[in-house]
Amino acid sequence: MNKNMEKLTIPAKLENLEAMLEFIVERAGTLGFDEKKKFQIKLAAEEALVNVINYAYPDKNGNIEITLTSRNNEALEIEIIDWGFAFDPLSLPEPNICAPLEERQIGGLGIHLIRKIMDEVRYKREDDRNILSLVKKL
Amino acid sequence: MESNFSVKCENSVAKVKLSGRLDANNAPAFQEELKKLTSSNVSRIIFYVKDLEYISSAGLRAIIFAKQKIGAGSQVYLIGAQEAVLSVIKMSGLDNFMFIQDTYDE
Repeated sequence: MNKNMEKLTIPAKLENLEAMLEFIVERAGTLGFDEKKKFQIKLAAEEALVNVINYAYPDKNGNIEITLTSRNNEALEIEIIDWGFAFDPLSLPEPNICAPLEERQIGGLGIHLIRKIMDEVRYKREDDRNILSLVKKL
Repeated sequence: MESNFSVKCENSVAKVKLSGRLDANNAPAFQEELKKLTSSNVSRIIFYVKDLEYISSAGLRAIIFAKQKIGAGSQVYLIGAQEAVLSVIKMSGLDNFMFIQDTYDE
């Protein structure tokens, strides 16, 4: 398999969000994703990254590592890694998107969008790291 | 990317203009702004989003928050949404609870 990997390690701060998203979307563009899919990838990535930025490190002090791998130029795999609290975002219950807005739970919407947008979403805990893997096909 | 929002209230109608991005960076400030509406007697919120290019769940939460604060009887309008923004609204099921229109006749 033709694998091609790029990596970015950066402090998990909201002010770095734009740089992280640019790193991901630029690669998606190189691989030939169209504007619509680039928008979707950006949105899913933002949701996942904001979760890490806001919740992974109690003292707000830690890194995010982003690994981009293209698979045979057919798909982009984004791995988002942190060294914070063990947390599986996929363990959250799905929000009831049919409930009236007044009764909506405020949480869970981000992970719902990630699931909707990406073709594969996986989580694993390995060597004290949270690894969330998002795959989008071309 | 430039992002902007303005909120103004006329009678019982709140008009909210959004442009650029509504994401984790600026949604908290937007939500603060929307809080001001809750003290006035608003029955309808109109979001003008023709120039809104990007919205994430943080932005959606602000919209849900506004509806929840204003109350069950209130109406929410979304005017002029671009396709990408509209798709996020639909994926989240928010389209069931707002009037989605290209234009709004005053």
